[in-house]
Parts: sequence; C-alpha cells; structure tokens
Amino acid sequence: MISVDQLKKSYDGIAYALKGVSFEVAKGEVVGFLGPNGAGKSTTMKILTGFLLPTEGRATIDGLDVVRDSLQVRRRIGYLPESTPLYYEMRVDDYLRFTGRIRGVPGKELTSALSRVIDLCGLDRVTGKNILELSKGYKQRVGLAQAMIHRPKLLILDEPTSGLDPNQIVEVRKLIKQLGEDHTVMVSTHILQEVEASCSRILIISLGKLVADGSLADLLGDLPGGDVHLRVRGPSESVLSQLRELLGESVPAEIVSQDGDVSVYRVSVNETTVAVEEGIAHLIVKNDWALLGIWREKGTLEQVFHSKTLHEQVEAGDA
Amino acid sequence: MRETIIVMQREMKAYFCSPIAYVFGLLFLFIVCGVGAVVTLNPGFPADMTNWFVALPLVFLFFIPALTMRLWAEERKAGTLELLLTFPVTIPQLIAGKFLASMSYLALLLLLTLGLPITMGSVGTLDWYPVIATYFAALLMASSYVAVGMFWSSVTRDQIIALILSVVMLGLLYLVGVWGPLLIGEVPVWLGGDHVVLFILALSPQQYFASISRGVADTGDLVFYAAFCVFFLHANALVLYGKKVKG
Repeated sequence: MISVDQLKKSYDGIAYALKGVSFEVAKGEVVGFLGPNGAGKSTTMKILTGFLLPTEGRATIDGLDVVRDSLQVRRRIGYLPESTPLYYEMRVDDYLRFTGRIRGVPGKELTSALSRVIDLCGLDRVTGKNILELSKGYKQRVGLAQAMIHRPKLLILDEPTSGLDPNQIVEVRKLIKQLGEDHTVMVSTHILQEVEASCSRILIISLGKLVADGSLADLLGDLPGGDVHLRVRGPSESVLSQLRELLGESVPAEIVSQDGDVSVYRVSVNETTVAVEEGIAHLIVKNDWALLGIWREKGTLEQVFHSKTLHEQVEAGDA
Repeated sequence: MRETIIVMQREMKAYFCSPIAYVFGLLFLFIVCGVGAVVTLNPGFPADMTNWFVALPLVFLFFIPALTMRLWAEERKAGTLELLLTFPVTIPQLIAGKFLASMSYLALLLLLTLGLPITMGSVGTLDWYPVIATYFAALLMASSYVAVGMFWSSVTRDQIIALILSVVMLGLLYLVGVWGPLLIGEVPVWLGGDHVVLFILALSPQQYFASISRGVADTGDLVFYAAFCVFFLHANALVLYGKKVKG
C-alpha cells in the first residue's frame, strides 16, 4: 500500500529533516509511527499526503507516485493533520458534507456516507453544532470523521490523541483499532501505549532516519534478555549457593527480598544464556524446596524506544 | 470545475455564516448609496451617475482588501491550508473557487446598488448605456482588486498585514491612475520622459476603469484586466507551491 524509497526532505536546502527513509506498508496493516519530537514523523506524513514535495527519493501509494499522480493519491488517502485544523465557523454536518464532496463522494451517496461517519465517530449529538462550540475530544472526532468520509484505502493520522484527556484517548484508540479492520492505517505518536494498544507494526524514526521496523514482539525480542526472578521457600543461603553453582560466574544471582523463609532471587541473565528457567526449576525441586514463582522481566516498548532513539542521538552527537 | 464550485460554495457559506457578509454589505451599501445619493441626486441637474462612479474605486480600495484579507491568511493561521492542499483539488481550482466566491459576493452587492440608478431613472431621464458600462467596469475593477488582495493574503498568516499591504499597493496604483496624467510632459527626457509616465500609467487599473465607464471599452482594456488578474492569481499560486517546498 505504501512504499517509501530513500525519502529525503530539506526545508532550507541545508539541513535535512529526513535523511533517506525507506519502508513498506502492506494493505490492511495498522502501523504505529514512533519517534521523538522533531524526528521527521510529520514531515514523512506530509509528503505521503501530497502536502509537501520530497527533496529526494520517491514514495508511492497503491502503486501511484505521490508527486506525479498526486491527485489520484490524494483521493485514496484520509488525513488528519497534527493540530486537527477545522473550519470552526462551520456546522459539523456542513463541514463533513463539504469534505465528503471535495473528496469526491458522489452526491447521492453523500447522505449515507455522512451518517456512517457520524455513527462511527459518535458525533450524532453534535451534528447541528458549530465546530467552535465542541470540546477538544469532539473536535478530534470530527477530524477523524472528515478523514474517512470517502472510505479511503489509507488513513494517515498525525498524533490523533495529543491533547485529549485519558478517557478520550481510550475512545480514539478504540476507534483507530476499529478502523484498522477495513483500512490501512498509519498513525504517528510519541505515546508508546498507543502503539501497544492499536498497532500491528511499529516504525521508529529518529533524527530523520528509520531506526526500527517490526512487530512489537520483534522489537521486544531485539532487547537484551530480561532478568529471571524466582520466589522460593527454603534456606536462603543454600538456595543462593546452589544457584550460583548451577549458573556459574557469568550469570550473577542475588537475593532481592526476604520474608521469613521465603526469599525472592534475581538471576541477571545476559544475552548468551537464554533458557535458564528449566534448570533452576529442576534444582529447586531436587532439593525439596518449594518453588512459589518464577518469571522473566519483560522488555517494554519504552526500552526499545530509548535504546533505538538514544543510540542514534549519541551517534549524531546530539544527546 | 466541480471542485472549483465546491470550494466557492464553502467560501460563500463562510461569508454568510459569519457577520462579515452582513456588516460589510450594509456598510458598503450605506456608503455607496449614501454617497451616491448626495453626489448624484441634485435637484435641477440632469440625471447623471458620473460622480458616483468616480467615488466607487475609492470605496473598493478599502473595502475589497478587507474582504479578501482572510482568504488565505486565515487558512494558514488555522492550519486548514494543510488539509485543503491534501484534498484532491489542484491549486488553480482552489484559487478559482476563492476568487469566484469573492466576486459573487461583490456582484451581489453591486446588484443591490442598482436601486440608485433605478430611482434616478424613475424620477428623471437616465442614459442607461453608460450606467451599464460602468457596472461592467466596476466588476472588472473589483476583480483586479480581489486578485491583489488574495495575493497579499497568501503571503502572510496575519490578516491585518495582508490588509495593509493590499491597501498600500492598490492605493499606489490608484494614485498613479489619478495623478499620473498630470506628469505627462513633466518628466525630464534623461529619466525616460513620457515613455516612463505612460508605462507606469498603463499599470493602473484606474485608467481602464475610467475609459470603460465612459462607455468606450476596447479589447485592450479587457485584456489589461484579464492579464492583471492572471498575474496576481498566478503569483498567488506560486506562493502556495512554495509552501509545498518550504513547508
């Protein structure tokens, strides 16, 4: 659906906001586009939607070039820019009718298209109001409604939840997930839970370069293995010494907390030792101690984000 | 064409949904008809609207930039320009839509001033030919002012700056048209002499307005207005294309 090849953009001819970004997005994917502020997320989206011209490189949507076939590309896209710009003096229904018509919805389908998005975005209570009077959450929903009134093949949403309260954020996320069922969606954000909640794939961009691309599981798998914790009832000294004997010096084990004869131990697993759980379980059972729990610390998207974006910034001498 | 009409309709709606259209319209009619009545309805004199038409460009000079100042500046400030430029509409279609919306509004206002000549015609004998010619000239004049106003609105996100720049530019062109002829024969030859005066004079819409409203429109006058509008509307388009490069 989207194919981006070595895309570069410079606003002033000197500094590059995008320094050669390439990626592909397949039909039906919901892609989270992550990156710190100023990383190039909005710039990429503005090029894909035809608002900005790329300085170098090429992007196609549905096989059509975003520069050469701009009008046809724009017909296939629904776009919600970052600050949700709307004509505040217009009524919600008038505004949506305008965006539907200008995006090419035929006259006789306009009414049904209008009621579909009003329904989908939960706008039925405010259709007759001026956009100016709406709360931020409702304005955001109007923004989403205008982006999908023409049933676009691709939805591009630039920070759709910024400035919303937690309840509204949950609603918008739910909506995005729902949209993902029959649209390809590209959503930018710097809120990581958002991606975890609604995206099947993640692209991370930093300082104008793509630094990560994959599913959440892929990206978490890239992280160094997490520590293994275990809760054991038994004599702590001998448990610890047996553990150290089993694991060797390269895998340090220590006691984290102690409550009577129950202790929690941490085994700092490095990348080379992956599956230690089975051996540990055997050891505990063999000694007739009670294994009350064993779990591995999970990597978080935050860690992925930090490791990918900070690494880049340090390399660029920016951090 | 369809897209141009949709943009035009939205602009018209924006005028009429806000108090602008009504406040401006009433003010315009009050000034134009009020002034018109004072300068034209003189007992004992023949029915003649020449004086009224002399005042019209001056009213336009302030009125039209105030009408056009929001056309792009507001879109830029609110960020709606970004969305507008990602709709499947070309920049010329957008410009044409906004231009036609302003022109339709002005045409409507001019239509409403027809009460004045109709009143004159009913109480005396009025030569309709120059009146019609002048209405035509007024529309052409208005189109050139709208083109200038739209251009300046596109270069800034501040409506007041757009207003000031348009009024200054149109004011200068107006003064050139009114006072320029006095300079004929006054400019020394080493500065170019009358050639320079005539060249500058040729740039002022005022010149052509005067000649059309005398009822002697020739193709040259029409070509001037067309070229003048195309020049500024094209400049407007270049500013918008520039936004696509510079962001």
